[in-house]
Amino acid sequence: MATETLKQFHRLPQSTYVDALRFLPPLSAFDRYVVVASFNSDSDETSIEIHALNPSTPPILTLQSSFTLSSRISSLKVAQKSLQNPLIAASTFAGSLHVLFPNPIDVSFESEVSIPEKTLHLGPITCLDLQENGSACVSVGEDGRVNLISVGDSGLDYRRIFDSKGLVSYTASRWASPTEFATGGLGNSLQWWDQRRPGGPVSQFKGNWSQGAASGVVHSIDIHPSRKHTCLAGGSYGTVFAWDLRRPQQPIVLSGIDAGEPMSSSSISESEVWEVQYDTFMSASNRANISSERVLPVMICSEDGILAVIKQGCHLQS
Amino acid sequence: MPGLLTVYHPSGHDESSALVQFSSDSNTPIVYSLHHGLKSPIAPRLSISWSRGNSLRVSVFRSPETTETVLDEVEVGGKVVELKLSGEYVDSEINDAARWRRIAYGSVSPFAHLQNKKNAMAALSELRHSAPYDVDWSKYVLEYSKEINSLLGSRGSSPTSLIEDPKTVLENVEEPSSLKAAWELLEIFYADKQSQAWIPEQLVDWSAVMIVKVLPLFFSKTCNWRRGGEHLSVYDSSLQAVEDEPAYWQAISSALAVGWLDIVVKLLRLHGSYQLNQLGNRETENGLVEAVAVLISKMPRMRAHLPDGKLGECYYNKSDFIKAWEKWRAQITKLDCSAFWLQCSHNHTRENLKLLLQIMLGNTGTLSSATFHWVELYIAHFLYISPFTSGLESMHALAQKCMQLKPTSSPHKLMRLIIGILGENTEVVLAECSRSFGSWMIAHATELLTAGSIQAEILLKEERHNLGGVSIEESHRLVYAQVLSSHALTWQIAPIYLISCVKHGVGLLEILLYKQPVYHSQVLLKNIEICRLYDLDSVSANAMKIAGVHHWKHGRNGAGVFWLQQAGDEVRLNRIAQKLFDFVGKSISDESFEQWEGLIELLGSESRTAAGLEFLHKYRDFKKSLQQVQDGILTDAARKAGEALILLMKNPSTPQRFWLPLLYDSNSNPKGRRIEEVLNHFCDLQLKLLNWQGRPLLNVSQTNLLLNKLQELSVARLRPDFVEVGMPAGALSSVRVALATNLGRAILEE
Repeated sequence: MATETLKQFHRLPQSTYVDALRFLPPLSAFDRYVVVASFNSDSDETSIEIHALNPSTPPILTLQSSFTLSSRISSLKVAQKSLQNPLIAASTFAGSLHVLFPNPIDVSFESEVSIPEKTLHLGPITCLDLQENGSACVSVGEDGRVNLISVGDSGLDYRRIFDSKGLVSYTASRWASPTEFATGGLGNSLQWWDQRRPGGPVSQFKGNWSQGAASGVVHSIDIHPSRKHTCLAGGSYGTVFAWDLRRPQQPIVLSGIDAGEPMSSSSISESEVWEVQYDTFMSASNRANISSERVLPVMICSEDGILAVIKQGCHLQS
Repeated sequence: MPGLLTVYHPSGHDESSALVQFSSDSNTPIVYSLHHGLKSPIAPRLSISWSRGNSLRVSVFRSPETTETVLDEVEVGGKVVELKLSGEYVDSEINDAARWRRIAYGSVSPFAHLQNKKNAMAALSELRHSAPYDVDWSKYVLEYSKEINSLLGSRGSSPTSLIEDPKTVLENVEEPSSLKAAWELLEIFYADKQSQAWIPEQLVDWSAVMIVKVLPLFFSKTCNWRRGGEHLSVYDSSLQAVEDEPAYWQAISSALAVGWLDIVVKLLRLHGSYQLNQLGNRETENGLVEAVAVLISKMPRMRAHLPDGKLGECYYNKSDFIKAWEKWRAQITKLDCSAFWLQCSHNHTRENLKLLLQIMLGNTGTLSSATFHWVELYIAHFLYISPFTSGLESMHALAQKCMQLKPTSSPHKLMRLIIGILGENTEVVLAECSRSFGSWMIAHATELLTAGSIQAEILLKEERHNLGGVSIEESHRLVYAQVLSSHALTWQIAPIYLISCVKHGVGLLEILLYKQPVYHSQVLLKNIEICRLYDLDSVSANAMKIAGVHHWKHGRNGAGVFWLQQAGDEVRLNRIAQKLFDFVGKSISDESFEQWEGLIELLGSESRTAAGLEFLHKYRDFKKSLQQVQDGILTDAARKAGEALILLMKNPSTPQRFWLPLLYDSNSNPKGRRIEEVLNHFCDLQLKLLNWQGRPLLNVSQTNLLLNKLQELSVARLRPDFVEVGMPAGALSSVRVALATNLGRAILEE
């Protein structure tokens, strides 16, 4: 296992709590914008802010516009309808859902549509995911509901796909295709849903984890557009694993507690892995070199401040 | 000019010894509005308590009468509102909370690093039965000190001269705080063992930044002149001679006295005689100015190296330095006695240049008049009179002498700190650190104070009765940790400081963790992580229990059971399982059956609690097939149901252990009760099963088994302590009839 350390990174300290942040799809060749879900604990103010990123050394963030919300943001996603304006979706701990449409020229917030709390979920929305083209959004919560929200020109429409009535709590969600999505929950479990087959999850993964891994919570899921059969998940105790729908009972553990041998050496972090993402900077030709049996390189970030790229069998960290 | 020596108070509360600065400025009451969202009328019942930080927790209760009348479910008995009072923790100088947090977070990793090193070294020395390596340790402490120092802001460049732009003599650098100045002082005297020989020169560097930035009023003349940056340019443009201005010369002599050689040289070169049109008739004058400038720039300095742009010649070795120093002074004297002065027609220039030479020669009177504050005089002494001063004692004596010459009415906190350090009085240093610079400073500075000083180490680490058995060091860390824990954004770094406190750290850490609102899942996860780091398994188990019960109460049964299982809370899991038994024998709707089934599924995965769950699992199977029977008359399903029923009945692992607490009071036959319930449950539909249309589902032995159980039950019923469950009166007899019919048919079949 080879570990290289990257040296080139910058810290941009902020005065407020940053609950989530995303890049806005590039509006022009020169501007780069970052959407930040910020929470000021002194004034109890939550806002969605758009900052311009000046790629100097060190980079500088300049606040462009901000939109105030009533509750803290639990999940923030950004999408872009083909060649149209980008949209920002945010869910709150109070349970409301907001979709914002920033102006593409000066990134001010032109309009907002929202669904009030206690409508979609009882309690917080733990995660939402926007489809790539921004037309639909799936929201999950600890109350065990799975909702589908369609984002139309006239506003938001929602439909409850499933309600486990609290028996299953969902903590992560991710679209795989216009009809399929995956969710994750307690005990490092994953579910696969297909809108064409309503009534419940199509496939489920509970895994025969050893004691440690079974106690984990999935925080983030990613699915690569070219390999939809594999679900990548990250959660507690530095666990990062891939779930191949073709072999649904055998998770591929990339980091963290291995099934069978607890606390194996392959863990880069023992903390919560908050986000996993496939390394999108990898060129297509490079990707083609990796056999379809292997998991593509994965970027993670964790509670103890580790940013890392994990390749199956080795990892690179900073 | 003693009138000028007002002490610079950054916040105005310098004298208060309060841990957290408290401003008493606002006498007008502040009105906060409560957003409790309850409909009026609200009963006048309030409960107010402190929450975390400066939040007040206000519980608003409805009066009992109104709760009865309002049947709206959302309108509960009241509401708890947290009210955040304004006013942040303000360290004496770090007014900006965000900046203070940056320092707090940034200092965590050096501190933790140093503690790890300390523990490792302690373990090592125990192993070797020898004292820890002092050299290594002082290296670590210096590293630590440097890291913290860099955190407090860049030193900036001490006043530098820019050659490109003659108008800017002093660059505007980032304003260093007196916190940083204090830290640097401690570093110079306690941490940096390698450079002890150069303390005077280090003090010169230190003062260069601090005098200008932190104590701007002291250096009033230079300040005035600084402000007159344009002043200079005015002289330039109007071709008026700078050298005719007394302020120009005053600035030069003040700067020279504190060793800002580069600035002095640069200023000298603004002298009018350098002007091209003046060169012809002021040649000698210009030569003298230049000679002084060159002498200044050649001043020997006893130090390893000088930063870029600084003037002087460095001598590492003391004997080399003495040689160079003597030579330099001889050159000055020679110039002083030179005949060229007579040829210099410009009075101002002549006199003031001579004055500069006197400063360089260390003329006490000249130095005294060129400086304003005793620190400046002190620095001048190091530079021009006694560059070899070493040892705190002689430095202290010198400081006393300077203070007598330049008395101050109320000393600035940095000055008090210097005196404490020079006086080798650890208590004074500690007191100064804590009262002027706050709990952050003292918690981090103790590492510097104890480095290499046995007395200080004894003083700081000795356990004291009046402090509740903890050492001074620990008590300061505890206080700092308390400050950290009081804020939602910093509580998570408090454990690092608490865990370094041997006596009370762990106890307070547990309290801190218990106080966190663990029903927020992110707080819970953080809590668990902290517990894992410090082996506080019982604390994390309790946190998980709290979270589990919270989820359960809010209808998130899955999450509730999950966290209770994580916590290994057998008691509550058993209670949940017992609740499931309540469903046995009741006809339940499809929806709640799903819930019930899901819960069995959740509980069932854990074998530890499954003692009584085996029955429930079997019952669940039975119930499922029964439902299928209900849906359509399917013989297969019915057969399955029948088999499940027999399995249930036959199973010797009747959950007696599980049922016992339930039946403890009644002390009745658990078996009997179970059978009865099961049979009761079958009453309507099940009778069909027992007496299946078409062909009997149960064979002779199976029917006999059931009849026997039935008999057992009816015997149990005769006992006085039997508790009747709600059953139709004829249930028992109709079951018996059904069974008897079935028996008959089964016999015929066979």
